[in-house]
Amino acid sequence: MSVNIKAIKQLLWIGIGSICMFFAGLTSAYIVRKAEGNWMSFEIPDPFIYSTVVIIISSIVLTFAKSKLKQEASPFKIILTVFILGIIFTALQVNGWKELTNQGVFLTGEGSNAAGSFLYILTLAHLVHLVGGLVALLFSSVSAVKGKYSLENSIGLDLTSTYWHFLGILWLYLFFFLKYV
Amino acid sequence: MSDHHKETFITKYIFSLDHKMIAKQFLLTGMFMALVGMLMSAIFRVQLANPGESSILYNFLPSHWINEVGALNPDKYLALVTMHGTILVFWVLTAGLSGTFANFLIPLQIGARDMASGFINMLSYWFFFAATVVLIWSIYVPSGPASGGWTIYPPLSALPQSIPGSGTGMTLWLVAITLFIVGSLLGGLNYIVTILNLRTKGMSMKRLPLTVWALFFTAILGVLSFPVLLSCGLLLIFDRSFGTSFYLSDIVINGEVLHNIGGSPILFEHLFWFLGHPEVYIILLPALGITSEIIATNSRKPIFGYKAMVGSLLAIAFLSFVVWGHHMFMTGMNPFLGSVFTFTTLLIAIPSAVKVFNFLATLWKANIRFTPAMLFAIATVSTFITGGLTGLILGDSALDINVHDTYFVVGHFHIVMGLSAIYGMLAGVYHWFPKMYGRMMNKSLGYIHFWTTFICAYGVFFPMHFLGLAGLPRRYYTNSSFPMFDGLSDINSIITFFALSGAVVQVIFLFNFFYSIFKGPKTTKNPWKSTTLEWTTPVERIHGNWPGELPEVKRWAYDYSKPGYEDDFVPQTVELKEGEKDV
Amino acid sequence: MANVLIPLIIILAIVALVQITRVSELLGELKKIDVNNVTEEDNNTQGFLFVVIGGAFLIFVVWQMLEWNHLLLPPASSMHGEQIDALMQFTMGLILVAFFLLTPILFYFAYKYRGRKDNRAYYYPHNNKLELIWTVVPTIILTGVIIYGLKTWDSVMNVDTSDAHEIEVYSKQFQWLAREAGEDKVLGASNFKLIDATNNLGVDMEDPNSLDDKVVREVHLVVDKPVLLKFRSQDVIHSAFLPHFRVQMNCVPGLSTQFAFTPTQTTKEMKIQEGEDFDYVLLCNKICGAAHYNMQMKFVVETQEEYDAWIASQKTLDEKLLTQK
Ligand code: HEM
Ligand SMILES: [Cu+2]
Ligand SMILES: [Cu+2]
Repeated sequence: MSVNIKAIKQLLWIGIGSICMFFAGLTSAYIVRKAEGNWMSFEIPDPFIYSTVVIIISSIVLTFAKSKLKQEASPFKIILTVFILGIIFTALQVNGWKELTNQGVFLTGEGSNAAGSFLYILTLAHLVHLVGGLVALLFSSVSAVKGKYSLENSIGLDLTSTYWHFLGILWLYLFFFLKYV
Repeated sequence: MSDHHKETFITKYIFSLDHKMIAKQFLLTGMFMALVGMLMSAIFRVQLANPGESSILYNFLPSHWINEVGALNPDKYLALVTMHGTILVFWVLTAGLSGTFANFLIPLQIGARDMASGFINMLSYWFFFAATVVLIWSIYVPSGPASGGWTIYPPLSALPQSIPGSGTGMTLWLVAITLFIVGSLLGGLNYIVTILNLRTKGMSMKRLPLTVWALFFTAILGVLSFPVLLSCGLLLIFDRSFGTSFYLSDIVINGEVLHNIGGSPILFEHLFWFLGHPEVYIILLPALGITSEIIATNSRKPIFGYKAMVGSLLAIAFLSFVVWGHHMFMTGMNPFLGSVFTFTTLLIAIPSAVKVFNFLATLWKANIRFTPAMLFAIATVSTFITGGLTGLILGDSALDINVHDTYFVVGHFHIVMGLSAIYGMLAGVYHWFPKMYGRMMNKSLGYIHFWTTFICAYGVFFPMHFLGLAGLPRRYYTNSSFPMFDGLSDINSIITFFALSGAVVQVIFLFNFFYSIFKGPKTTKNPWKSTTLEWTTPVERIHGNWPGELPEVKRWAYDYSKPGYEDDFVPQTVELKEGEKDV
Repeated sequence: MANVLIPLIIILAIVALVQITRVSELLGELKKIDVNNVTEEDNNTQGFLFVVIGGAFLIFVVWQMLEWNHLLLPPASSMHGEQIDALMQFTMGLILVAFFLLTPILFYFAYKYRGRKDNRAYYYPHNNKLELIWTVVPTIILTGVIIYGLKTWDSVMNVDTSDAHEIEVYSKQFQWLAREAGEDKVLGASNFKLIDATNNLGVDMEDPNSLDDKVVREVHLVVDKPVLLKFRSQDVIHSAFLPHFRVQMNCVPGLSTQFAFTPTQTTKEMKIQEGEDFDYVLLCNKICGAAHYNMQMKFVVETQEEYDAWIASQKTLDEKLLTQK
């Protein structure tokens, strides 16, 4: 691996570390705030469970992109599938919010509670990072169509995959955190 | 670099990808902000010495900040203090200091052609620039800029009803700081990756100059702590603009009962200081690194205890993450938790002491050459001693009861963080100016600038300890409302006298700086007879730093006055002799 | 006038600077030397200045300590405050010793080891033994400081408050109020939703404990009797600072904080000691808005009899609120 490729991969990893600190900040705020009491409890709506499944599947699908390259085939369709799964994930999250408001859990206003607000903000913050992932997928799929990727030259795809898997793991963390903490 | 495409003015000076140009952009923006911040402090010092009177300095302010009799409005005093703190902490001593020297020195001192990603580097500057524009803009909004202190504790910062600056001004402050954080993170990522990957052949971590080590730890601190400030700010933004209750609870203001229940302002303080404390080391460490480098070079002597110097930087960096509670002893925190924070805080004194002793040992039996940079470097050690010692009082929770939030704190942090870092920055500018601009700064003006600054700075900040021990709280528009402080007006006048003089003498520096850029005498390749790699580059400062091959490193960075060599310095590129040991 | 003067001064200053620079450069050309090269003469001057100006700085510090000593807070007027003062003296002594040791060494070294042409620095990159010594010695000293400090902190914060006289101190922009518990010695419940123009503190009048509570505009304490201050805030964070008693605690909306202490000197005694216009005063010590600098309340320390007379003269909430309705 050339120095530059290694450096760029590291750049992403440290960036991921930085994002982790951001969510660590939010989730520790959650814990501290919860310990102070005045905390509403409610069920996590189903769409969030479905979205969890969707994002896991998307990550698994994405791993096939690399094997496509090994077979010297284009990974375009794989990337596109992942992209679509990402859109579905987004839609499910939005659906989850709708469900929440139906349950009477609001982000703000009279009757809102920090428990609910935290859920909205954590999911929203994750989604913002996911949009970045979607953009990266879009770029990667364009590159794939243009046939830019090969086994030797797949840095763009590698970076996108790393980030996407990270988003999945981050979501799993948030999901289980919200459910069980 | 091989591809010599035509450089236009825009790509060379504005959207430059070259780390040296980006460093200068950071430096100039930082210097501009330093002037703004300094002017603000001059203005509020005038108010403190002559409370309720008018002053010609107020002509710099928007007219509605001044009341009928020409005096500064009390809430605008707080606006000035807040902006002064914000600007100096973040804009000058984080971006201005790290941004300048990390960008300039890292590639040059490790033997790299540029940063790992020039593009990210450029983005980092432009985010910072955008942040600067927003912050300056916020000063001119009708309700005034943020006024809740640079620590922006809610509910004060969350409720526009509580102080006018918490309206639009505060919103813009948050926007600016968000842009600032993004810029700092992009910069920090780049610095770390560059240091880890792009070191030239032979430049092992054990041979890195201490500047690079310091900038490395600084970048790590930034990358780990700034995101937490971002999350802290995010929740504040939601509380302010969308009516959530993370930090707000049980509030009645202007007769209005707010709906917020259950939030906790203390939560904000925890999140804020988790960044806030590392932040003070983000400010200080680069200055210590620069100081180490300059002291060694101009003592003509190796830095004493290189490993201990790196080790103490590491220890300080690590400890800085576990001491944030010392800013919160008086929040009613569990006394046991207070004890823990006292313990961890006082531990920091150990690596700090090691650094001081090692600096002194470096000076011992040296052959000191007093360049202006060296003068400032020695002054950094002096302020680090003076200010560090009072930290023992503030870190001790029992003693903090009576000095917390008084002028004693203001004196302490200005000396240990403000002065040390400003001196470090000035030392760095004097030292690397020939590398940045290919010309020398005037020595005599440098001497005058140093001594006047040194005198004025201690004259401003040392007396503040006494104000604090007299019980005077900080962030007071005037101390004339309490008879118990009537005796303090002399001290206040002395401080203001030195503050104004100190501000004026900076003109000498500014003049020297800009004059020398254009008219200074041309420099030679290695004017300070230094060992590090940046002085092996050509004076012309080319893209890619070295023409031809990158230099190869054969030894550590501090072979000054090594026995067995004619010269009193041995550059890092010189092969070890037969049987010679590298330290 | 001044508007003209300032630019004029600036212009003159810049002209002067240009002249200084030019002259030094021309001199250099005449003498065929590089003016920016640091000469042995420079080293002598600068080293000398370190001793002179560095020394002047140290003298300035001593001068301040002598000259301004009388401005500092008088010895603590509370029991725990005496402990804090003792710890302060110990720590201050320690740091002064370190300061007056290290600073002169630094300036002296700068002078002593100023560069000379025929001289060569001593190549001395490290010495593990020395470094060990100056890691271990500060560690030992700090261990002492930490232990002493934590002991004091512990005894200040963890006090038995069961027989302390309870007073609520209430903060809002920009005023302090206080509430005495009245005869039943129990503060009535309160709720921020009940705050209005007449019921400043949002006291719940349905609670029978509230009826005899008394809202007062200054706090009276009985000398040598332990008191427990309970803090509330109505709007933003304030901080209750009683410097003479070495007491400080933040007042946080939505949170209840407290501080217990025992005053040891009456206001009268202090007036004799400190002058007729002395008064104990409560300051706000957390930035809270435009009039932060002017948020104060008087504290009076007096004998039991004086206190009894004073408290009897204050109206209960029951009387106050009912007469207003
Ligand atoms: C140019 C010389 C300077 C002067 C005369 C000066 C003066 C002051 C004074 C008097 C205050 C306290 C005001 C108050 O509490 O009411 C203050 C606050 C502050 N200063 Fe400076 N200062 C100077 C330089 C610096 C530097 C170099 C730093 C960098 C660390 C700095 C950072 C701060 C901060 C963080 C605050 C606190 C702001 C707040 O309370 O929110 N200042 N300054
Ligand atoms: Cu701190
Ligand atoms: Cu207040």
